[in-house]
Amino acid sequence: MKKGVMRPGHVQIRVLDMDEALKHYVDLLGLIEMDRDDEGRVYLKAWTEVDKFSVVLREADQAGMDFMGFKCLDEGTLDRLHEDLVAFGCAVDVIAAGELKDCGRRLRFRAPSGHDFELFATKQQTGKWGVDNRNPEAWPRGLQGIKATRFDHCLLYGTDLDRTLELFRDVLGFDLAEQVVTPDGTRVAQFLTASMKAHDVAFIDHPEPGKFHHASFFLETWEDVLRAADLISMTDTSIDIGPTRHGLTHGKTIYFFDPSGNRTEVFCGGDYHYPDHEPVTWDADKLGKAIFYHDRQLNERFLTVLT
Amino acid sequence: MNNNKQICIEEGTQTAHRISLHEQKVGFQARPDVSVLVSMERAGQHLIAVGCRGGGCGQCRIRILQGDYFSKRMSRAWISSEQESEGTVLACRVFARSDLLIEPDPPEVGSRCQAAAQHDQ
Ligand code: FES
Ligand SMILES: [Fe+2]
Repeated sequence: MKKGVMRPGHVQIRVLDMDEALKHYVDLLGLIEMDRDDEGRVYLKAWTEVDKFSVVLREADQAGMDFMGFKCLDEGTLDRLHEDLVAFGCAVDVIAAGELKDCGRRLRFRAPSGHDFELFATKQQTGKWGVDNRNPEAWPRGLQGIKATRFDHCLLYGTDLDRTLELFRDVLGFDLAEQVVTPDGTRVAQFLTASMKAHDVAFIDHPEPGKFHHASFFLETWEDVLRAADLISMTDTSIDIGPTRHGLTHGKTIYFFDPSGNRTEVFCGGDYHYPDHEPVTWDADKLGKAIFYHDRQLNERFLTVLT
Repeated sequence: MNNNKQICIEEGTQTAHRISLHEQKVGFQARPDVSVLVSMERAGQHLIAVGCRGGGCGQCRIRILQGDYFSKRMSRAWISSEQESEGTVLACRVFARSDLLIEPDPPEVGSRCQAAAQHDQ
């Protein structure tokens, strides 16, 4: 049942070198720099996003994800969810408005998977980049590189998938859209959605909590994914795998790495989910096909290369 | 007139260094401007595990037993400052400045070095 969580709102990613990172996220991926703050963080967005920013880069001495934030309907929803999170057993930190520039108060909590998440309801809306909201043209000129259209989801590796599902489903109102189960019924992967999208966040079972697998950005067409692959080669960017198709969600995809080793995905297409749909299930012995539909073989790197 | 060739003039003008593996008769050449890991990949060898190639995932960890090198920032999740000063590095972030003698030191899956236990946030 919906609880007022709308969509992924932002992700804060740690990078080892900001200048190198900006070449990746701005010049190659095509995000737009919107702001910087006193801590040196850089705020980026993809052009179709209405809110001011969706990706925050922070220079640090290790790579990975600081937190992922979800936008909620309104401040009243935040108050209700705050109580529900506490009742579930989460310690909730209230982060004051303005700690992230032009973003309202955020509720920060750690999921049983070991990842930090945030809920917020208010963020400055600067509108889609380069197009008006009245009689808008199809797309703006002046976009760079891959021209990512929006921040779509994260895939995270961590512990205690069952309790993490309870938190996202029962407290935050996500649906389980897709899962991978072993013969004994253990769920080893779960794809969760707060919308009609195939996933807004996904988890894979891993002995170490709090690991980051990738942040993903949406493209419109398969042609756009192939063009991304060309740009990745032209710039000698570290490639993981693709272009290919996933079995899970059936998205068409390519994975590559930012200069600090954080994985980026761009993808197009994929399934949709309504609340009355049963979860789609993959058997763990078909994991190769579930992850890489064409190769039908899992590469070691998909499971072990994390930040 | 086609003058695209100029872009490639740099290639091959720098002397490559020999990267040898400790107690093995294998190795590869590495140019000073290409990381040790990517040099190995370009030589078609599989002596060090290849992960992100960006100093974030720890897969390519090696010990440098001999030789000079330059290193870019490497994730503290995998290399503590003590390890760094003793020559434990991530091959994707180091550039040879002389011939090198190295030894792979891949981390256990899911394990991290001591220093990383305190999350930097
Ligand atoms: S390959 Fe990931 S740290 Fe070197
Ligand atoms: Fe993805």
